[in-house]
Amino acid sequence: MMALLKKSSIWIAFLIALLGLPLLFDSILAISILNQMAIAIVFALSYNMLLGQGGMLSFGHAVYFGLGGFLSVHALMLIEYETMVFSILWIPLIGGLFGLLAGIFIGSFSTRKAGTVFAMISLGIGELIAASSLIFSSFFGGEAGISGDRTFGPTFFGFDFAQNIEIYYVAAVWAFIATLFMWLFTQTPAGRMANAVRDNPERAEFIGYSSRKVRFISFCASGMFAGIAGGLFALNYEFITEENLNAATSGRVLLMAYIGGLGYFIGPIIGAVVLTLMNSLLSNYSELWMLYLGIMFLLTVMFLPRGFAGFIMMHQLAWVRGNMKMLIKPYIITGIPALLFALCAIALIEMSHTEDEVFHYLGFALNPASPVTWIVILAIAGGAFYAVKRSFNQLNDAWETANAIPKEEES
Amino acid sequence: MALLSLKDVTKNFGITEIIRGVSLDIVEGEKHAIIGPNGAGKSTLFHLISGRYNVSAGSIHFKEQQIENKPPYEIARMGLARSFQVTNIFQRMSVFENIRCALFWSKGYGYSFWHLLGRQTELNDEAMHVLEQIGLADKAKFPSGELAYAEQRALELGVAVASGAELIMLDEPVAGMSHSEAENAVELIRKITEGKTLIMVEHDMNIVFDVADRISVLVYGEIIATDKPKNIRANPKVQEAYLGEAHNA
Repeated sequence: MMALLKKSSIWIAFLIALLGLPLLFDSILAISILNQMAIAIVFALSYNMLLGQGGMLSFGHAVYFGLGGFLSVHALMLIEYETMVFSILWIPLIGGLFGLLAGIFIGSFSTRKAGTVFAMISLGIGELIAASSLIFSSFFGGEAGISGDRTFGPTFFGFDFAQNIEIYYVAAVWAFIATLFMWLFTQTPAGRMANAVRDNPERAEFIGYSSRKVRFISFCASGMFAGIAGGLFALNYEFITEENLNAATSGRVLLMAYIGGLGYFIGPIIGAVVLTLMNSLLSNYSELWMLYLGIMFLLTVMFLPRGFAGFIMMHQLAWVRGNMKMLIKPYIITGIPALLFALCAIALIEMSHTEDEVFHYLGFALNPASPVTWIVILAIAGGAFYAVKRSFNQLNDAWETANAIPKEEES
Repeated sequence: MALLSLKDVTKNFGITEIIRGVSLDIVEGEKHAIIGPNGAGKSTLFHLISGRYNVSAGSIHFKEQQIENKPPYEIARMGLARSFQVTNIFQRMSVFENIRCALFWSKGYGYSFWHLLGRQTELNDEAMHVLEQIGLADKAKFPSGELAYAEQRALELGVAVASGAELIMLDEPVAGMSHSEAENAVELIRKITEGKTLIMVEHDMNIVFDVADRISVLVYGEIIATDKPKNIRANPKVQEAYLGEAHNA
């Protein structure tokens, strides 16, 4: 019993976090962000089944999310017009089923090859479905999309799901279940063979597996979970449009999974949380948040190819050896000027963008028209950059020491 | 009765004929070596038998079933396993996972997504047992891509033999190893192929004459002789085409 409890402690913590967060952050904005996070976590994890675990780079994963979402809104309408009556709690399942069907159909020909062929087919299918969604307006509702109302179904212990917080708990429970099942999938022969085919599709064939079929199974499962995310989206927003299955949405889920870290199960969860926060919070402060997202993506690809999760996991060795405290000081010494440099860069970018005479930034009133402002910020940025460069060697040395093999182990 | 039987197998790439009518019977339980100069088509022959390439003409039978032009996974499921000349493992997975994946099919797991691997005690024990045999038990959790070269070759062997296949084909298993590493590898090969049928491509003549019950000499896509080691050594055709050349080198 204790062993089971210990083994599942991380899952219990995850569930408590999901259910407890709205108690800590209970504003309307916070609940809306939490809802988006729950959806994004499921979507990003389903994407990682393809790319991180199966080695399939898809540019059209929003198709399964969107199709699941569209069918879910149709299901909401069926409930509304009392064609069929069931609790809206089951809506994500309908999204998932439709995502699975779409996955079976499209996967039957797209998983023949991985690599460039797969990527191009996914791009083509993505464009095809997005274009079709504008043409077949009876199902997709054209540019306006379609909308439903989640409050018509039977109530659940008196809840009619009119409140966002009520729907958040639905989303949280579904996100938990979906995450758990996606993790369990990685622990099965089909999940492990997905890794094997990712690493070496040829060798997989010589140990008895058709790499195509292995990819197909992952692809279908991934489509299903993306459909569940689409169903959660439909429940949360009660409408869905072409935007939710087009290339931009496909691109966003790729960014989430990549920035979070493809090689780790938790990576896409981190990516989903970070990107949702940036999307919701940063967009309040700056029109240029997409630019910052782009810069962040570039920096991640260049300097943290294994994503945020990879960065955290890099410290495992130092942690195990009890050397983390060696790293704190050098991190601060390099981190402060690095942060200063980033803030200066943001100031410069924002100043070039703003049309106002005075630009308020971190409590300073900056005047974009005055050369002095520019020179001062550039000077600070230059100084900060120099400080980062100077201190970087120390950080590197500290890193080496913290990860070095202790003397007694060496022999 | 032959376990594996090739009849008039040919393989062209465009107009280039690489394998030119090979017929060969491998008897159950024998250790058979295929030798020949570079470019003779040894690896191509392996690829034809294991299903990586389709034959241009001729037939291949394994356990009296026709296997030519079948996909590799179907041939593998029948009990024919092979290793590769260039290490060909699942680089990003742990050593243990490599072996466990190689066991899935023969243990009947198929494409299952309903068995949780943590609970498959028998499977996991079997994987550990294979790791002990190939001497990598203490590296079980190591990422396989970070193993030393000789260890990767041992893992390559392990992935090939884990499934318990009856016929094992090894393509230059000791290539690129130091003398002592090669000696260990030969010991390992002996141990893990005990009671099984082995076909091996190898350049090191000491190892070939040491391990093989019979030897086939492949020259320019044709088998010019198949015989016991001592007869091969004495065969003038072989000496002319291959051994003399190799000894002079």
